[in-house]
Amino acid sequence: MADLAIAGSTDPGMIRPNNEDRISTTPELGLAVVADGMGGHQAGEVASGMAVDVVTRHLINVFSRDTPPADEEVADQSSAELRAVGEAIALANTAIFELAKSSPNCSGMGTTVVVTLFHEDKVCIGHVGDSRLYRYRSDTLELITEDHSLVQELVARGLITAEEARNSVNKNLVTRALGIEPTVESQLTEQTLQDQDIYLLCSDGLNDVLPDDVTAQLLKDHGSDLQAAADRLVAQVNARGGPDNVSIVLVRTGDQFLRDKKEIAKLSKESNG
Amino acid sequence: MLKRDWFLGLIVSLAFAAATLYGVPFLQNMERLAYDTGVKLTPSDAAATKEIAIVAIDDDSIEEIGRWPWPRKILADMITQLSEAGAKVIGLQIFLSEPQTDPGLTYFRELREFMGKTEFPPEAAPQVFKIKEFINRVEQDLDADNRLAEAIPNAGNVLMPMFFNVQVPLGNPDADPPEFIQRNRLSKIVIRPDVNGTPRETDKIELAPLAVFGNQTAGIGHLNLFPDVDGAIRRESLVLKHYEDYYPSLTLLLAARSLNLEAKDITVYLGESVKLGRLLINTDADMGMLTGFYSAEGDEEAFSIYSFHHVRAGTLDASAFKDKIVLIGPTAKGVGSTRVTPVSSNMSDAELTANVIASIRNQHFYIEPAWTKSAAVGIFVAVALYLMFVLPNLGAALAAIVSLSLFLGLLGAEQYMLIDKKVWLQTVPPALLLLVGHIALTTKRFFATERQKKSVETDSAQTNRMLGLSFQGQGQFDMAMDKFRRLPVDKSVLELIYNLALDFERKRQFNKAVSAYDYILEHDPKFKDTNERKQRGETLEHTITLGDRHMTPGGTLILDGVDQKPTLGRYEVEKELGKGAMGTVYLGRDPKINRVVAIKTMALSDEFEEEELAKAKDRFFREAETAGRLSHPNIVTIYDAGEEHDLAYIAMEFLHGKDLTHLIKSQGRLSEAWVLDLIVKVADALDYAHKQDVVHRDIKPANIMYDEKSKSIKVTDFGIARITASSRTRTGVILGTPSYMSPEQLAGKKVDGRSDLFSLGVMMYELLCGEQPFGGESMAALMFQIANNKHPDITRLCPDLSPGVGPIIDRLLEKDVEKRFQTGGELKGAIINCMNSTVQSG
Repeated sequence: MADLAIAGSTDPGMIRPNNEDRISTTPELGLAVVADGMGGHQAGEVASGMAVDVVTRHLINVFSRDTPPADEEVADQSSAELRAVGEAIALANTAIFELAKSSPNCSGMGTTVVVTLFHEDKVCIGHVGDSRLYRYRSDTLELITEDHSLVQELVARGLITAEEARNSVNKNLVTRALGIEPTVESQLTEQTLQDQDIYLLCSDGLNDVLPDDVTAQLLKDHGSDLQAAADRLVAQVNARGGPDNVSIVLVRTGDQFLRDKKEIAKLSKESNG
Repeated sequence: MLKRDWFLGLIVSLAFAAATLYGVPFLQNMERLAYDTGVKLTPSDAAATKEIAIVAIDDDSIEEIGRWPWPRKILADMITQLSEAGAKVIGLQIFLSEPQTDPGLTYFRELREFMGKTEFPPEAAPQVFKIKEFINRVEQDLDADNRLAEAIPNAGNVLMPMFFNVQVPLGNPDADPPEFIQRNRLSKIVIRPDVNGTPRETDKIELAPLAVFGNQTAGIGHLNLFPDVDGAIRRESLVLKHYEDYYPSLTLLLAARSLNLEAKDITVYLGESVKLGRLLINTDADMGMLTGFYSAEGDEEAFSIYSFHHVRAGTLDASAFKDKIVLIGPTAKGVGSTRVTPVSSNMSDAELTANVIASIRNQHFYIEPAWTKSAAVGIFVAVALYLMFVLPNLGAALAAIVSLSLFLGLLGAEQYMLIDKKVWLQTVPPALLLLVGHIALTTKRFFATERQKKSVETDSAQTNRMLGLSFQGQGQFDMAMDKFRRLPVDKSVLELIYNLALDFERKRQFNKAVSAYDYILEHDPKFKDTNERKQRGETLEHTITLGDRHMTPGGTLILDGVDQKPTLGRYEVEKELGKGAMGTVYLGRDPKINRVVAIKTMALSDEFEEEELAKAKDRFFREAETAGRLSHPNIVTIYDAGEEHDLAYIAMEFLHGKDLTHLIKSQGRLSEAWVLDLIVKVADALDYAHKQDVVHRDIKPANIMYDEKSKSIKVTDFGIARITASSRTRTGVILGTPSYMSPEQLAGKKVDGRSDLFSLGVMMYELLCGEQPFGGESMAALMFQIANNKHPDITRLCPDLSPGVGPIIDRLLEKDVEKRFQTGGELKGAIINCMNSTVQSG
């Protein structure tokens, strides 16, 4: 049984007055969530806040149940945990969509989300939009998620080059987000952990500004202290102008993660008032 | 834990394993049912039974000869008769352990004694001699034991039974068995060092033949039977241990004798087998042989059975017994006992003996080698693993098929092993485990689904609760209340709503707090201090209502319940028309000139950060000004732009018609002439605007207004796409599908008027044939199509179009901007040409 080390940092950046990013970490559950909201007049914050909150609460509920998610018959062979992540994201989408529809202040709001749920020797990954998950393993930083963004789709189809993509005016247009449509298709994957992996969840405020090799170097130098590393990443982004909100969650794992039922029960009690 | 399938599988398996080890009768009986079936199904070898004949003391014989027990003279006569008929060996199934004395004999003996002592006159001598002779004859006739004792050695091949008391002896015997019994001891005992096993032990000979017979007989073997757990006879103990000696069974002796072997020729490998000449009989550890049984075929019994009195009457062909093993035993009711065996539920001892002998002689027995035990355990474990790990992952139908085939396979394997290999492999316990486990797991699954159904319901309650809390946490109290209302009411839910009401109060939304309190009071009139809070809330609500409610900070006008009409700039706002690309659209009126206008609003402060706000406002008004310069019959006129309450607005011509999407929806394909006319007008408008350096950027049916009454066509929202697009430099979402976007626009390149012409081409295509030229399941697929794929040939989709239309569409939808029409005027010209040629040819 190895614990997770989790550290997170979120910052409005140097230009924007408010922070529409939200992060949430629940070490007892092995859960980390980053969401990047959009939409005017504080609606972006509401959307991203809803996303992390609903995902976290739902997963707490799922894992505090006596019955772990039933092994119902499903066509795909995905694990119950991964399905729970998918459910959580779907639920968050519905909640945000409902809110956006019913409340004029919130109309048009949406949010990206990236979720990591550690379970035994696996990490279940769910994401929608252009918030990213990287994995730092054996001195190499690897992008795990694929953005749901216009440029990514264009690059993937070879319509434009990566160079053109960086300069595109549509750089920040996402093709999928929570709260825009009644349902959303989330990307769900599962990977096997290795001891001393570091997982980096971030909003586009990080990867738009810091090249991956700079981030990798920073993790190499400061990976032993996750909080320091997260804070330094934010500082670096702001040193380069900090044009957007930036959010970072770092998770260092053992080769597996087991959760304590009692802790979850406590969490559930708190979360359900 | 029990909820886990594998765990349930484990529990069932362990319970079954324990039941098997403790020998629960049901399991054993089922296993034996399978064994008996296999024994019954084993094809009988007809020749094997021909060696043996049974002389049955049956009901007929008793009726004929008299009450049992018969005088032994009859038995003696029979032995003599059989011996003369050439019987190979005669096996008696009758215990001759007690002397049989005719009561008359005593009197005759007394009479002879008296005659011997008495002096008779010499002249009476011949009469006395005659009397003595008569007495002698009577004495001899009546002394049946003696007759039998003489008949036995004469035959020389009569074997008799004895009966042991089966009990492990605690000490030494009272006396050694008589010599005639000891003669039958087995002397060749081989003890293998690696084999554990010993015959069953006995402490007493309960029934032994009388010495008069025993001394004369050719051999004595035990007739002990050892019923199985269910009382049936399946094994024959070939050897029993009596203190330090080993004695054969009568069957073994008979078999040996029929092969001209003696007790001393039999070799016993303890715990393993018995060797009889060339025959090797495998046994279990206590020298039991799993007997093979011979079933009757139709009416014919497995063995030839002759009624005693028929044999005695000599009516049978004497050759029936020639060289046969002849067994004499009772089968009549009340005389002999009957046994349950795999093939019959009432088999006489004689028949049983015959079966055993035939088994030995023909080696028709079954074995249980040591490996069968490990194999059974292996199969058991495999079934357990199947239940634990395979079954839970199978669908219901597949699981049933797999389990059933495994079940039948296991039972079939046992039968195959028994019938073909003569090996008893116990597969019934694992087969039953499979059955029970399968039922248990599917039942569990059934209940789990039931429970899941229930938990889905509670789930949705839990979800609503969770979402409610989430909304509350994000300050969205109305939504939170909406969720909480859906929960089944209990104390904890009222608590949640109470807390929410407090939040409403904090936000000074007293009316909402009051309605929350009402909800609580409906269910619990005494909940905490709800009543007082409600009353206070009501008072506060009324004082607040007087405040300014015309405008909320969110930039949305509130129009209900206000006497005075709200204004935007110099316009009175009449009503809301709908939502536009940037924000709400209102119907307004300029009171000075009584002109009705449409007012498009945009909450700039929502869209832009403070630093950008000034720039954004500049741009907004610049764009509005540019668009306002446009004066063209087919372009919506812009009157005015302004800003109030952080709300930027554009006042423009109010149009009575509807946009083209309504027309497409209701009519699908539109007439060619009408469409061409429309396109000419729009092309003209675009040509005009492009010349003023205004690019529309968002040409689509929704932006073309059509008024049926005045037949007017107007392009609206010039440049507005630019304003909205510029506001979305940060993370934003593509709203709607970019069906009408040009390839260069999708790629984020700089666009000019030719991009508008591409969009117009897409629209024209759709209007003419009712379908869009580019489609796709996803946005990405659509974008790929626009960028790479040529549109489907319109002339093929709609062959009735005028010949000139296809080329115009093709040219409009060119990916390469240089190959398109370069201006709206060029397009207009082409269409007019096309229309003219149609008119001329038509």
